[in-house]
Amino acid sequence: MASATRPAAIRERVADSDRSVGRLLLVAAGALFWGWLVVSWINRWLGGVIVPVGQPLVPVGAVEAAFGAIPGLAAYAADAGFVVELTPVLSRGTWLTVVITGVSLTLGFIIAVPLAVTRVYGRFSAWLSLGYTELLRGTPLLAQLFVLYYGLNLASYVPGAVSGVFARDVVWVAILGFTLNGAAYQAEYIRGALESVEEGQITAGRAIGLSKLETIYHVVLPQGLRYAIPSWTNEFVYLIKYSSLAGFITVPELYYRTNQVASETFRYTLIFVVTGMTYLALVLTASKLMERVEDRVSIPGLGAEREE
Amino acid sequence: MSDPGTLALAAVASAATDLPTGDVLATLASVGESGDWWFIGQPADWEFVFGNADYLGIGALLTIGLTIASILLGFLVGFPAGAVEVYGDGLLERAVSTVGVVLRGTPIVVILIVMYFVVGVPQINLGIASISSAMTAGIMGLGLRSAAYQSQIFRAALSSVDDGQLEAGRSLGLSRFEAVRHVVVPQALRRSIPGFQNEFTIVLKDTSIVFAIGLAELLTRGYNLFSEQTTAVLEVILFISAIYFVLTFTTNRALDYLGDHYAIPEGESA
Amino acid sequence: MSDDDFLRVTDVSKWYGDEKVLDEVSFEMDRGDVTVLIGPSGSGKSTMLRCVNRLAEAQEGSILLDGEEVLSPDLDVDELRREVGMVFQGFNLFAHLTAVGNAALGPRRVLGLSESEARERAEAQLERVGLSDQFDSYPAELSGGQQQRVGIARALAMEPKLMLFDEPTSALDPELIGEVLEVMHGLVEEGMTMLVVTHEMSFAREVADEIVFLDDGHVIERGPPEQLFDHPEEERTGRFLERITSHD
Repeated sequence: MASATRPAAIRERVADSDRSVGRLLLVAAGALFWGWLVVSWINRWLGGVIVPVGQPLVPVGAVEAAFGAIPGLAAYAADAGFVVELTPVLSRGTWLTVVITGVSLTLGFIIAVPLAVTRVYGRFSAWLSLGYTELLRGTPLLAQLFVLYYGLNLASYVPGAVSGVFARDVVWVAILGFTLNGAAYQAEYIRGALESVEEGQITAGRAIGLSKLETIYHVVLPQGLRYAIPSWTNEFVYLIKYSSLAGFITVPELYYRTNQVASETFRYTLIFVVTGMTYLALVLTASKLMERVEDRVSIPGLGAEREE
Repeated sequence: MSDPGTLALAAVASAATDLPTGDVLATLASVGESGDWWFIGQPADWEFVFGNADYLGIGALLTIGLTIASILLGFLVGFPAGAVEVYGDGLLERAVSTVGVVLRGTPIVVILIVMYFVVGVPQINLGIASISSAMTAGIMGLGLRSAAYQSQIFRAALSSVDDGQLEAGRSLGLSRFEAVRHVVVPQALRRSIPGFQNEFTIVLKDTSIVFAIGLAELLTRGYNLFSEQTTAVLEVILFISAIYFVLTFTTNRALDYLGDHYAIPEGESA
Repeated sequence: MSDDDFLRVTDVSKWYGDEKVLDEVSFEMDRGDVTVLIGPSGSGKSTMLRCVNRLAEAQEGSILLDGEEVLSPDLDVDELRREVGMVFQGFNLFAHLTAVGNAALGPRRVLGLSESEARERAEAQLERVGLSDQFDSYPAELSGGQQQRVGIARALAMEPKLMLFDEPTSALDPELIGEVLEVMHGLVEEGMTMLVVTHEMSFAREVADEIVFLDDGHVIERGPPEQLFDHPEEERTGRFLERITSHD
């Protein structure tokens, strides 16, 4: 298997260029970004208690005036104003991006754990699990979304129980797609981690009278899942970025919304630089968050020390 | 298609309204009608798919070409970038790693659109053939992002080579550059094969996202086809998915073989 | 041989593929006995030990523990293992759990004790092996000798009626062997029934009620330590003892 030998931790420590100089700036930028996002979301949920729904938190005119007043930045006043005008669209799209990513990652994880366990410890089911992961990892995610949306027209079959949770039912199709696809990738990472748990751990578990399933649950998974954190972080980051593909099946997430504005205003440069920065902020937050989680759950002699 | 820039949007917009999509019930019903339990879809629609196999085939060739060109560009840029991250210092190393973080932290669709609209790569004329600007943007976008990932693969591989190797090289009278070039790099390249393999299939699959800039590769052609005959949606997508699967599968096996072939016997636990 | 033997192993045979690793092995022990299995590596002594708690499956013969047939297909192996503690050569401590966590897992999950009862029991056993100052240390933070003592405490926490030791000191640096043997000595004095595989001959001589010498899957000779060590009847026993003691 090609992926079995994959050096898990290489892939994507996006934010490991941790230099003390830029660190403070980064933290400040992060606080500003999340502060803006959360306040915008709350404003929308509460029906515009701070500013009318759809309006930027800061008046466009004020920002333009501020830029205009500073020599050297005056030339960019109009651009700055445009970006501020764009912020309600950004925050709205980011909400859906965050929700889709979070829900899909969680559901994918719930599927991935049994997939990985059967892959390692099952017999016939190991082949089923292998087939599933190979198929899902061997075809493009966009093609999978097309199968669900165009091919099977699943948007018309969203069950009543969850229908209406989102403004458009198609969001559920995207979540389904990301869940199924992400489960395959997560299962691969978890499988690799489970296989790195020593055989003696299972023997010891069985020797005190735990059943095989109990041993997997109480002994193998707590260790294996810790080993899996670095590569699982990659999957988190991937999912944030690839959630943009939901835009292709009309899900109004971040990319879809900004793309729409771009096609109306033709200000592609500015809009996509800002969009890219928003994704980058989400990605950096995710990888910082996971570093925290890794530290929190780290155990002497387990996990962290295994990375060179 | 006069303005391919708006194609992605137009596609999305039209899909929402006037594209009658396939129907699960009809699809399932047809399974029963055909009499063969394994048969998905309608015979007439499969005929349509196979009738257009050459149209899709050209798309598959474009996908392959795009993959190879992007991987090559990624290697040419990514390998030195990885070396700079390991052996470089100061401003250059910082700049390289920052660009890497940005490229790895941004969705490929955003990178592609920025390449297409912002950088505004021109059409390239090669005399006999010309490369469309969408193709150039696709190669640039996929290639540079791949470079950002390949640099990490090479960085890890280079730093996994024992320091003693470099010292041993220097002790023979090789310069620092020569020692890296002749001693460290050959070992590091071998160690990077698994990561490289992974990267190869990721680029292959992500070529489908140039759909966003209207480049007529496999997925885009599939989309065009099922927009034309809307009853064949599922058949077309399954067909192109199968092609993608065959491509990734054979690529993986070929690189497995390469990895075995160049593996250094024993002693390499990396 | 009496009918009320606590453990009676009769004609146990086991094959790995075509290779016969145990060939009609028989021995028995009373409650409170210490039996030591010795023999060259690959002689089958560890396999014999593992057959007793069914970590290895014997194909033929009978193992009666407290009157119950261990090899019976209907036997609940998890129940068996609740009553038989095992200490491993490689410790096999649960790497994600502290010393207390290791010793509490069985009582909590297998015996169904409450969190606090399990912890109490684990702490008591850790005290018994002299580790009252290491309750919350993780395995990686402990020395080899300490790890093995946690391993012993983990097995004791299940309040087993029989303890199996599979070369408990073989993976240890020489200076750490003593502390583990000392704990085992203590258990002997408390009257624990123990079946031990070891290369520590002086320990065997001191505590064993019976020594069983295995070679090539056969019981070559068995008897009280004085007899076996000082007056071996079989030539092979003598040669083995000579070889192993010359290393000390």
